[in-house]
Amino acid sequence: MRKICVLLLTLAMLCTCALAETVNARDEAVLNIFTWEGYIDYETVIKPFEEETGIKVNYATFASNEEMYEKLAAAKGGDYDIILASDYMLNRVREDGLMQKFDPEIVDNYGNLNPDFTHQFFDPDNEYVVPYVSGIPLIVYDPSVVGIEIKSFNDLWDASLTDSLGLIDDARVTIGMVLLSMGQSMNTTDDAILAEAAEKLDALKPNIHVLEYENLHNYLVSGDVAVAYTFTPFVALALDANPDLQVVWPEEGLGFGIDGCFIPSAAPHAKNANRFLEFLLRPEIAAICAEWQYYCSPNAAAQDCLEDWYKENPVFNGIYDRIGDAEYVMNLSTEDEQKFQDIWTKFKLSL
Amino acid sequence: MAHNGDALRRREKRRSILFTLPMALFAALLVALPLIYVLGTSLVESGQDFSLGATFTLENYRRILRADYLLVFLNSLQLAFFTTVISLLIGYPFAYCMARAGRKWRFILMMLVIIPFWTSALVRIYGWKILLQGNGLINTVLKRLGLIETSIKFLGSYGSVLLAMVYCMISFMILPCHSAVDKMDFTLVEAARDLGAPPWRAFLTVTLPLTTPGILAGCVLVFVPCVGIFYLSDIMGGGLMLIGNLIRDQLLKVRDWNFGSALSMVLVLLTAGIYAVYRKCGGKDLGVF
Repeated sequence: MRKICVLLLTLAMLCTCALAETVNARDEAVLNIFTWEGYIDYETVIKPFEEETGIKVNYATFASNEEMYEKLAAAKGGDYDIILASDYMLNRVREDGLMQKFDPEIVDNYGNLNPDFTHQFFDPDNEYVVPYVSGIPLIVYDPSVVGIEIKSFNDLWDASLTDSLGLIDDARVTIGMVLLSMGQSMNTTDDAILAEAAEKLDALKPNIHVLEYENLHNYLVSGDVAVAYTFTPFVALALDANPDLQVVWPEEGLGFGIDGCFIPSAAPHAKNANRFLEFLLRPEIAAICAEWQYYCSPNAAAQDCLEDWYKENPVFNGIYDRIGDAEYVMNLSTEDEQKFQDIWTKFKLSL
Repeated sequence: MAHNGDALRRREKRRSILFTLPMALFAALLVALPLIYVLGTSLVESGQDFSLGATFTLENYRRILRADYLLVFLNSLQLAFFTTVISLLIGYPFAYCMARAGRKWRFILMMLVIIPFWTSALVRIYGWKILLQGNGLINTVLKRLGLIETSIKFLGSYGSVLLAMVYCMISFMILPCHSAVDKMDFTLVEAARDLGAPPWRAFLTVTLPLTTPGILAGCVLVFVPCVGIFYLSDIMGGGLMLIGNLIRDQLLKVRDWNFGSALSMVLVLLTAGIYAVYRKCGGKDLGVF
């Protein structure tokens, strides 16, 4: 009997604690960030924010946009205060009502952003998302071993490049590249065009040496491949290791992506989240983030704070002239995604 | 007296239930429940959650019966098979020498097998990548020796994937083989030799049959995880399409959880089937080797 009493008392105490917590949550000096590992630097961004505001930042990580969505949906838009994710997923979260508008009174420096990067499909009225960084997959090659001058995607099919290409192991990105080379949209779902793309992809087979999602720059630097089509940070890393490498902004068009921050619909500390968004938009902080991430900065005001090595890198500043040619990889319906995946499965099986 | 014994037995029984309960709960919560959820998800129509209102269908399983998906399964089985054979060819002699070596050597060899486990497999595989890359140590040494003129492109080849697989899995072959050789009564080999059998004959007719259980256990321990592994092929740039790649792409890229679950269930059944055949053939419990 005494044991039961103790148990009941403990339970009662726990309940009171839990209740007290929900009451106090709104005023707590806490901010829960949810994003990929290593996406926001502690020393140069989070720590100064904590020191300035007295808000304690918790940093939780996910491995993929999809994992983030599952957790956010399960928490019914709660648990987290700031989430940093990719464009197509931002759109899905907004459409599913799991975002809340940021407070323009607190986030009064939204105007720092380059207008080319605002009014995007995931936030047409600039109410929900603060773009953080932006990236474009590019071709990068070693002119000392490649006999031709590469200017376009179509040059990758050149017979002189046998067994020397490194491509991204992803159906949408790489089939998308083939579609761009054909003058088509990366998001086409037309069966005839996709069949043609599958054929054209097949013709690229003899030139492919390696398929890997990340870190393709290592193969380029070590001489295992002569040409790579890879994401912005890896292109920049390749260039760091070997400045003689050539970066190509393909003539036919560009893939494009933005990662942005938003406040979930039931964020427990929305006010702190707004303060953090204001902090991220400051020119000096935005510059630090872009340099840390090795991505392009969507923040126009940050240009003055960027270091020379960053500004002189053709990978980071080329986007401002070509943004009109850039296209997002959009989310498609399950059946349409399956079409891309089936082409990719068949292609990889025949490699 | 009889009454007393009954009470004791009953108390004993109650106590044993108390001790097995946490284990059973653990298994039910962390193994059975998730599996039931995956099974349920695989049996309802695409796009639906596994819940009361869902529509039952076998469509997700029927969809697997397509030439390219079956080829993906075959690809994984083939890679697992090659990995197992190579692991056996290298692991068995190693285990044999280890079991027959003196105390000091046995300790050193055992450490060689165990110490790599103290580091993450991921880190060790990246180490291999650095050794194998175009300007890596192996290519540099081969060039200095004048054996090759241009670098060999090891990375991205099927061979490099096999190397990574064997490297990661071989201890699971060595340990059961070692334990089998170690437990064997070597006076039997001596008897065979005394009766005039040459060493190879004594090995084939005495040592090999007596250590078969260890070999079989090692083969199952290597083969079964190999069927599901895909990250090694991805890291080595192999670009292979394995079951794991297919399941991941269906879950995360196409977001067809139902089809992905059906694929996962087939993989579970496949590995369970391999284990069942192994037990049927007289294989011992893999809990102990």
